[in-house]
Amino acid sequence: MAKVTVKLFGVMRLDSKISGAQIEIERISDIFNVLNENIKSEAPQEKLLSFNDAVVFVNGERCKKKSFKPSNGDEIWLMSPSSGG
Amino acid sequence: MNEKLLGYAGRVLKIDLTRKTFEDFPWTDSDRRRTLGGKIMAADILHSHITPDMKAFDEDNWLVISTGPLTGCACPNTSRFNISTISPLTNIVTSSNCGGDFGLSLKKAGFDALIITGRSENPVHIEILEDDVSFNDASQLWGMKVSEAQEKLQKRHGKLVIGPAGENKVLYAAVFSGERAAGRGGVGAVFGDKNIKAVTAFGSKNAEVYDRENLKKINKKWVEQLRANPLTGRQLPKLGTAALISPMQAHHILATKNFSAGRFDDFEKISGEELAQNHLIKNAACTTCVIRCGRVVQVDGKAVKGPELETLGLLGANIMNDDIELILKWNYELDELGMDTISTAGSIAFAMELDEKGLWDSGLKFGKTDNLSDVFNDIAYRRGIGDILADGTKRMSDKFGGAEFAIHAKGMELAAYEPRGAVGQGLGYATANRGGCHLNAGYLVVAEGLGLDVDALTPHGKAALAIMFQNLMECISAAGSCLFTSYAVFPSFLIDKPNSFLTKAILACFPYFGPVVNLLNKHTGIAKINIPLLLHPYALTFATGMKVTMADLLKWGDYGYNIERVSNIILGQGKGADTLPKRLLDEKQIESNEKTKVPLDKMKNTYYRARGWKNGIPTIKKLNKLKIEIPEAIKALNL
Repeated sequence: MAKVTVKLFGVMRLDSKISGAQIEIERISDIFNVLNENIKSEAPQEKLLSFNDAVVFVNGERCKKKSFKPSNGDEIWLMSPSSGG
Repeated sequence: MNEKLLGYAGRVLKIDLTRKTFEDFPWTDSDRRRTLGGKIMAADILHSHITPDMKAFDEDNWLVISTGPLTGCACPNTSRFNISTISPLTNIVTSSNCGGDFGLSLKKAGFDALIITGRSENPVHIEILEDDVSFNDASQLWGMKVSEAQEKLQKRHGKLVIGPAGENKVLYAAVFSGERAAGRGGVGAVFGDKNIKAVTAFGSKNAEVYDRENLKKINKKWVEQLRANPLTGRQLPKLGTAALISPMQAHHILATKNFSAGRFDDFEKISGEELAQNHLIKNAACTTCVIRCGRVVQVDGKAVKGPELETLGLLGANIMNDDIELILKWNYELDELGMDTISTAGSIAFAMELDEKGLWDSGLKFGKTDNLSDVFNDIAYRRGIGDILADGTKRMSDKFGGAEFAIHAKGMELAAYEPRGAVGQGLGYATANRGGCHLNAGYLVVAEGLGLDVDALTPHGKAALAIMFQNLMECISAAGSCLFTSYAVFPSFLIDKPNSFLTKAILACFPYFGPVVNLLNKHTGIAKINIPLLLHPYALTFATGMKVTMADLLKWGDYGYNIERVSNIILGQGKGADTLPKRLLDEKQIESNEKTKVPLDKMKNTYYRARGWKNGIPTIKKLNKLKIEIPEAIKALNL
């Protein structure tokens, strides 16, 4: 298990009402189970997070594998796709 | 299909300010079929008028203010209008698009476009009331800031005004309609040079449409589509364009410290999330808009327009400022003074680097923000260092040096996307007719990490995609539509499900679609079809009576891009014009990654071949194909 900092951005942050959290996980996919536990009490079912919906960065590098194993102290960004400048 | 085109007001008004006269400018259905409207129409009109020695501040430089056929037809997001003229910033044609209330009002007054020539001896307010035009004395308005001047004008009238920056001919002064700006290229300075403080329009005419029932059905579907799309239905309403700060940071495309980097450590403090969660009072929208991406925030206890992404990025990361409160205040101040925030911020960032490198001791320093409100005022009134900053980055680099880090293309400051992290966007910046504009560039960054996740650092396929995006955006703009309506064309799953197998597979192949896209660009006739997701052709068909397909959109876009290019060549644009500063071409953004510089030459050669250009100049064969008159400047080159 690795202790990581997770930060949420974009619509994902506004919908889930979670800006970030420090959690312990084994794989990237675990983040969503942990966060969804917190979200369930506050947000409707369709607002739950899933790996497929998120653009994931680990320490600033794009991560496309949900089986990726992070290390202690890693910072993970979860972003919702956005455009229009 | 209909012989007489509908959807248009049917008249173009030409005003001579020197003589204080007005008349109808001849514009027929054949012209409409050739140009559609908006910015392509304006480019065509300017092309027929400009001469090689013409300059922005010549009395004979025309301002062309034009609408598209969808404006006033109850289609969503179609209140846009365009202002084209010779730019004092770039000395070539500029086109600036705006979402305020003027376009709709001009059309209701009975005109598709307005051409203004000559120069008034005294400050003037041009008032257009259906068939009548008045030239009102504007001495009392002269000197007023943007909102104060608008408050003095008739509430129900669509308005265009300039602020002090336009009056003092700051080369990047904007024109305002309500709170929206036609910001780029210094159209406000041309207003100022002609002594125009305001133009207003009012009327009650409604353009007749070809098939009202079907247009109504398409409009309903269009609204549903825009609301269902993840970008136009969720992200833009919830976070505005400011949503992009965080993904730009992630993708190394957030211009930082005068484009010396693509990431800013304190990005969260100036982000869309910070704006939405701690500063947003409510959303705002242009007339007819269903997206509502505009932000309303509070400055000094007053509810005012909030900043767009470009302003947050360029007055934040690019000058090393992490204070969002200051950006909200500056955004308001710049709007009131009537200045383009992109070029203002770009000029200031360049001056900061000049100061840092000891090339110009202006006192402006990265991260030093306490005096910037004063500097903005000095620019608008051309006082002290403000008089130099008011001429923009290129002229400053001519004066003080530092051309390699003077961040402009063709004299226009770049928008907030650092192109070494999205090389197709770099190609777009370099080839855009009006200069360093993200939108006229084709906005390829939408595919290179923002929205879609196509490989942002590969040059493969980018030339073909840039041409297609440039042509499509040219045409969507000419129709009168907001460019954001084009995002709804991407299937939602490609945006919504970035990690699904299907999305990853399609996006991995995207760069290799180049040859197919090129085929479409070259032989637009192949696209004589319509796809359910692209609703603009359907709306245009039901509004005007022309049978419009995707092929027509690409054809109009290609025509518009070429005729504007030809005008630029008449005005003296040479073959080396499509370029970027050395920093972006030769210096790696990330030391360990060779790919993080813009491989411009490689992409540009493919781009030119696909466009039918040589060294950035359309060949005679290409112009003959488009039925564009070949000017002496091109004949002499014998391409």
